[in-house]
Amino acid sequence: MTLKTLVIIPAFNESAAIEETVREVRGVCVHGFAIDVLVVDDGSGDDTARRAQALGVRVVRLPFNVGIGAAVQTGYRYAVAHGYDIAVQVDGDGQHDALYLKDVIMPVADGRVDMCIGSRFLTETEGFRSSALRRFGIRFFSFLIRLLTGLTIKDTTSGFRACGRRLMRVFAFYYPHDYPEPEAIVVARRLGCSVVEVPVVMRSRATGASSIAFLKPLYYMLKVSGAILLHTLKHRKVYES
Amino acid sequence: MTIQWLAIILSIIVFVFVIELVRRERLTFKYAFAWLFFAGLGVLASVFKEQLFTLSRWFGFELPSNFIFFGLLCAFVFLSLLLTVFLCQQNKRNDRMAQTLGLLELELTKLKEKVDGR
Repeated sequence: MTLKTLVIIPAFNESAAIEETVREVRGVCVHGFAIDVLVVDDGSGDDTARRAQALGVRVVRLPFNVGIGAAVQTGYRYAVAHGYDIAVQVDGDGQHDALYLKDVIMPVADGRVDMCIGSRFLTETEGFRSSALRRFGIRFFSFLIRLLTGLTIKDTTSGFRACGRRLMRVFAFYYPHDYPEPEAIVVARRLGCSVVEVPVVMRSRATGASSIAFLKPLYYMLKVSGAILLHTLKHRKVYES
Repeated sequence: MTIQWLAIILSIIVFVFVIELVRRERLTFKYAFAWLFFAGLGVLASVFKEQLFTLSRWFGFELPSNFIFFGLLCAFVFLSLLLTVFLCQQNKRNDRMAQTLGLLELELTKLKEKVDGR
């Protein structure tokens, strides 16, 4: 049986990196999987959408910038509407190495877990591991998520992740918009879904700048922590259609 | 003119102005309701000032004017919170609409390609 897999690539002003990212993902061939690529152009001002379209992949062009959370959710809506079995998020900035796509997909494809996250902190020192301050922040979110959900996730902000049908349906209806990566883990756990990490090696951003580059890291940490904490107070029904 | 009359007139002006905005379709009743409620409350509080003073003493305010300011502050906090909720609702709907628009555009492109036999 072939599993229909959709790789969602959210991109905002990534014209310099999008072609290479798409080429890499399309170059991956995993036996038993039919892999499609969907680029979600989040209202880019450059020619990100045109470049992706020229490569023959499906491109959803959002009329204006809605943020990473809503852009990724667009991909989940598409995946659910077209009956995909697995959806994988890959950043459009070239940070995620498509070589690890199989590693991220397999635990979900086997039916062992609902979500699998590609983590850069499970290997020793290989690849890009972010600045010291950001690593501290990621560790703090990891501690907070463990405290609230009992789950140990080391790379809480990794956007390289795969989801099965159950979470795809949830995320098509509700996906956190503020700080989606760590929040989505909490949402998954609140719904009783299983989440695991697999080691991946990441690269530094090919181009562009991180969306939190200009925010004061401590302020960012405070806001993310607040958003995560509030999820524990929300009623489960807000996540389910 | 006494302060009481000034308060009554001001509350009525706000009440009538909000009604007029609804009448001209500049404001829908859903969003006007909270304003009308507080304006109506203002009229009642201005007309029945003895009851207002009793309530003020009962809450332990030294001066009735402090109680009025406190009431106004509460009303504005509530109204601004309500506006923030409406704003967030609109934001969510905008995002959802943008997503739908993008997805429909993609479906249309695929359909066009199919029709053109590409």
